[in-house]
Amino acid sequence: MSAVLEVTDLVKTYPAARKSPAVEAVRGISFRVEAGELFGLLGPNGAGKSTTLGCITTLIRPTSGRIVVDGVDMARDPVAGKHRIAVVPQVRNLDRDLTVREVLTYHGRYFGLPAAERESRAGRLLEQMQLADRAQAKPLELSGGLQQRLLIARALMHDPKVLLLDEPTIGLDPQARRLLWETLLELHRQGLTQILTTHYMEEADRLCDRVAIIDHGRILTVDTPDALKASLPGGHLLDLDARSPSPLGPVLEGIAGVARVETAPDGNGDGYVRLRLFVEPGDGLLDRVLHAVRDARGDLRHISLQPPSLEDVYVHLTGKELRE
Amino acid sequence: MTAFLALLRRDLLVASRNAFPLLMATLTQPILVVLVFGNILPRLGLVADEFRTVMVPGLMSITMLMAGVQGVLMPLVTDLSGSREVDERLLAPLSVMAVAAEKIVAGAIHAALAGLIALPAMMLLMHQVAGVAVHPNWLALGPLVLLCGLLSAAFGMTLGARVQPRFSGLLFAVILGPMMLFGCAYYPYQALSVLGLFQYVFLLNPLVFMSEAMRVAVTPNVPHMSMALLLFGLVGCVLGFGWIGARTFERRTIL
Repeated sequence: MSAVLEVTDLVKTYPAARKSPAVEAVRGISFRVEAGELFGLLGPNGAGKSTTLGCITTLIRPTSGRIVVDGVDMARDPVAGKHRIAVVPQVRNLDRDLTVREVLTYHGRYFGLPAAERESRAGRLLEQMQLADRAQAKPLELSGGLQQRLLIARALMHDPKVLLLDEPTIGLDPQARRLLWETLLELHRQGLTQILTTHYMEEADRLCDRVAIIDHGRILTVDTPDALKASLPGGHLLDLDARSPSPLGPVLEGIAGVARVETAPDGNGDGYVRLRLFVEPGDGLLDRVLHAVRDARGDLRHISLQPPSLEDVYVHLTGKELRE
Repeated sequence: MTAFLALLRRDLLVASRNAFPLLMATLTQPILVVLVFGNILPRLGLVADEFRTVMVPGLMSITMLMAGVQGVLMPLVTDLSGSREVDERLLAPLSVMAVAAEKIVAGAIHAALAGLIALPAMMLLMHQVAGVAVHPNWLALGPLVLLCGLLSAAFGMTLGARVQPRFSGLLFAVILGPMMLFGCAYYPYQALSVLGLFQYVFLLNPLVFMSEAMRVAVTPNVPHMSMALLLFGLVGCVLGFGWIGARTFERRTIL
């Protein structure tokens, strides 16, 4: 496989302005995206995802580092680079003075598509995105979900090598979100390389071939969602709400099948603490845990066993919950 | 170049769809001024008849300044304050400077048309009024109107990109208002020699060159500044504001 996008040692520091200090938004990020991959940048707000995406699109000027799209260095030849990328931005910036169909045909004009191709592509994309019956409407008359699909149709007009989506499902209702996921997966099946940023764990898990987890401007890890989840010690999670005269952590850590115990820093004020056990599920595990709690004269209020999610991986890596 | 022309085509299409409101915005001011200063006040004997001739080119230049500034500044302020429609243009296959240049050219076309529409409208309103001596030099009018349009749009780009969106309302009171009063719109530059050296301070105001240019074009009999100074000022302002405006635009849009 060949890399369609290569980001090397990307750094972006926003210079200090009046009353605000310099911000190191991206502090040395490198990754490769292979042809046909659906790649996710996952992290909390302010982690540097959108800045990274902005640097790839040329709308943000990197402080240092190199970005190569399909063999074109974006800093050296931005015009050639812009032919190869397409962006679905977080802010829906549809041209509100044009009709839905014109949004597509004018985008085609900007990219120099001949008239016949422009019209046929626009027609096909309107069908594909189920916008054909709204072709003469103005973009602002469309619902959020339809606007989002129009943004994707617009991005596909010039047949890009890479589609970049910045938080594509933010602000969409669950149904529209699912429909958008289907659209992205369909494009994935057609072989389009896609990079999306998200802070929704479920979204990254369901859509992405590989996920880079970003925090504070650095990539913490890059892998497939399954491999990331399997990387947790033990592979499963057992959450307990328990109370006891002496700390339970050390006791539980000694049980066969428990790889690791994390205790939430503070309780609920009623003496109960949340414990997270990274476990390898096996015969008698729950029994052993229950016995250990009872032997320590503890009381168990809640217990749940679950496969890990990407969020658990994130919390494990950063030691904190995802900031909204 | 394809992308540049496509963007221009889009802007002209949208402007043509909004032709009526644009026309109203453009013509209201000169028509009302002509009614008051060209009709009512002279009848009351409060203004000299010659004033009507002097103000025609001045009103053309003010009309163009407003059209150019508004055509470029307003969309830019909306863009920079959040709609980010400009991002689609910045992602089109042309340089950021070319995107800025396109905005200036589109604004210039808008401004030039505004000036060319204002002239017959004013002449129509005053066509039987005594003391009006408007004799357009059609050959000079075309190129001068175009230069004035470019100047207005380039100036609008500079203002729009420089000023924080939340202060854009102040622009008209603090910058454009004084510019119009001191822009030789209501008096010819040559007559300012009565002010001595202070006359030269007026040259800091780009509107002065536009008003004098229109004076050359439509009232050649009224004394005007030398052609050399006029062209130097017009071209210098177009290049200067164009450059500053485009650079500032680039700095504001590409973080």
